[in-house]
Amino acid sequence: MEAIARLVAAEITPAELKNNAAAASAGYAYGLAAIGPGIGIGYLVGKSVEAMARQPEAAGMVRTTMFLGIAFTEALALIGFVVFILLKFA
Amino acid sequence: MPTAIVTQSNGHVVQIRLVPSESTEDTVVESAEEGTPMAAASSGEATTEVKTAPNPIAPETKELAWAAGSFLVLFVILRYFLFPKLKKGMDARYADIRSDIEGADQVKLSAQSDVAEYEKALAAARAEASARIDAARQTVDNERTAQLAQVNARIAAARAEADQQTSAARAAAQGEVAAAVAQVASKAAELASGRTPDAATVQAAVAAAMQSAGSR
Amino acid sequence: MIALDFPEINSILRWKDIFPGFNKIALIAVLAVVISTLIFLLAVRQDHKEAPRGIRNFAETIVEFIENGVVMQTMGKDGLAWTPFLLTMFMFIYLCNVPGIIPFFQMPATARMAVPLFLALMVWVIYNVTGIKHQGVGGYFKSTLFPPGVPKALYILVTPIEFISAIIVRPFSLAVRLFANMMAGHILLVTFALLSEALFQAKDKVLIPVGILPFFMLIFLTSFEVLVAFLQAYIFAMLTAVYIGGATHPEH
Repeated sequence: MEAIARLVAAEITPAELKNNAAAASAGYAYGLAAIGPGIGIGYLVGKSVEAMARQPEAAGMVRTTMFLGIAFTEALALIGFVVFILLKFA
Repeated sequence: MPTAIVTQSNGHVVQIRLVPSESTEDTVVESAEEGTPMAAASSGEATTEVKTAPNPIAPETKELAWAAGSFLVLFVILRYFLFPKLKKGMDARYADIRSDIEGADQVKLSAQSDVAEYEKALAAARAEASARIDAARQTVDNERTAQLAQVNARIAAARAEADQQTSAARAAAQGEVAAAVAQVASKAAELASGRTPDAATVQAAVAAAMQSAGSR
Repeated sequence: MIALDFPEINSILRWKDIFPGFNKIALIAVLAVVISTLIFLLAVRQDHKEAPRGIRNFAETIVEFIENGVVMQTMGKDGLAWTPFLLTMFMFIYLCNVPGIIPFFQMPATARMAVPLFLALMVWVIYNVTGIKHQGVGGYFKSTLFPPGVPKALYILVTPIEFISAIIVRPFSLAVRLFANMMAGHILLVTFALLSEALFQAKDKVLIPVGILPFFMLIFLTSFEVLVAFLQAYIFAMLTAVYIGGATHPEH
């Protein structure tokens, strides 16, 4: 709360400048990190649904592999989220 | 572990205090509700940066220790005591179920063979019955045929006798008629010619005339 | 203009000691152990001969889920010896995740880096040790760093990538995946709870009905967190199984 109060203060010290830049770039970091995994997960799930519709008897195996793929793809977005936290609060 | 409390105003560091970790809670400014913040927590080294708060994603030693300890305790409990027991029970029950299924299969098989046997016996009985029925029918048929033949023969004999009688009567009548005609004809010829015709000639003529009349 | 006073980030993630050296995270971890022990203890005490009912049915369902859904899918029949380890892992992570949506706890223990970090490091040690035990030091590193079926010249490129991905990124991503998922969920819940609270208590009376929108979002997110808590525990156990399976049976 003190930090937010300081942000609106007129006087900007170098430290505050760094904080401001960090806060702004934190938003960009997460936003950019979410693009790729968003496309990737959409593609992955779409293809999995296609595969399950084509071969319903293989649905269990496809679902397992789909979750694994989602986990790997999602990790990228989550690393972006961690970078966001690091930039914003660390 | 010492903790740094940095007091600042307008971004300028006013005061840095190093305090032992236990007393940190007392100096926390924020009000203490359920789960309230430790405004300043253990961060190890004293930084003169603007931020006072420790990194929110830095792992805390005590949490690490508690997590590790409880996980390992749970693992030991499950691995060496509870899981084998549960698994043994499950396996025993599954073995039971499997043997039950096998027993049921065997019972089913024997029941099936029983059914097959019964069906075989039934088929044999049925065949025998039908053979008997056939034989009886055959006998009845034979008897009927024989009786029919007998009756037919009797009828035929009666008819033949009747025919014979009829033809005998007809022959007798024919003979009488021929004799009468021959007599009449020889008389007529005697009257007409004055001499007695040869009896054989008259008879032949009469027979020829009757024959031609009969054939007309 | 209205502005929302978001609390300082540490105030929603760090917790005061209940007694020295024992805070809410530790309490949740200990409760997870107690609850899973209770579930399996009560399950074991039931007669195993008759058809499982109640708690025994529940425990056996979990065990069979781990066996059929995790071990058989990734390691095959040889991996069944790992079932108790993966079962412990699944139960512990799930019961650490789920307090994030339980009233009065409102904090997933896995949203603190300590818990996932410990689990991921442990998995890292275990799959490396298992690989070395099964293939020998040389064999394990050969099959990990020099994957077969790659042209010789490409090893200059492939080997560093494989080293980074198998030795460094794996534990890191394993820890970060669980931690970031749970922390993101926790922060989202806090955000929408604070927003609806602020709107319901707004001085401007027009804003009060608007508070329903973030409240519905809060309900939706809470039910979503139910799914995430399960899914993350499942995925963590699954990836552990995949890594251990990969270390025991190298690709040919």
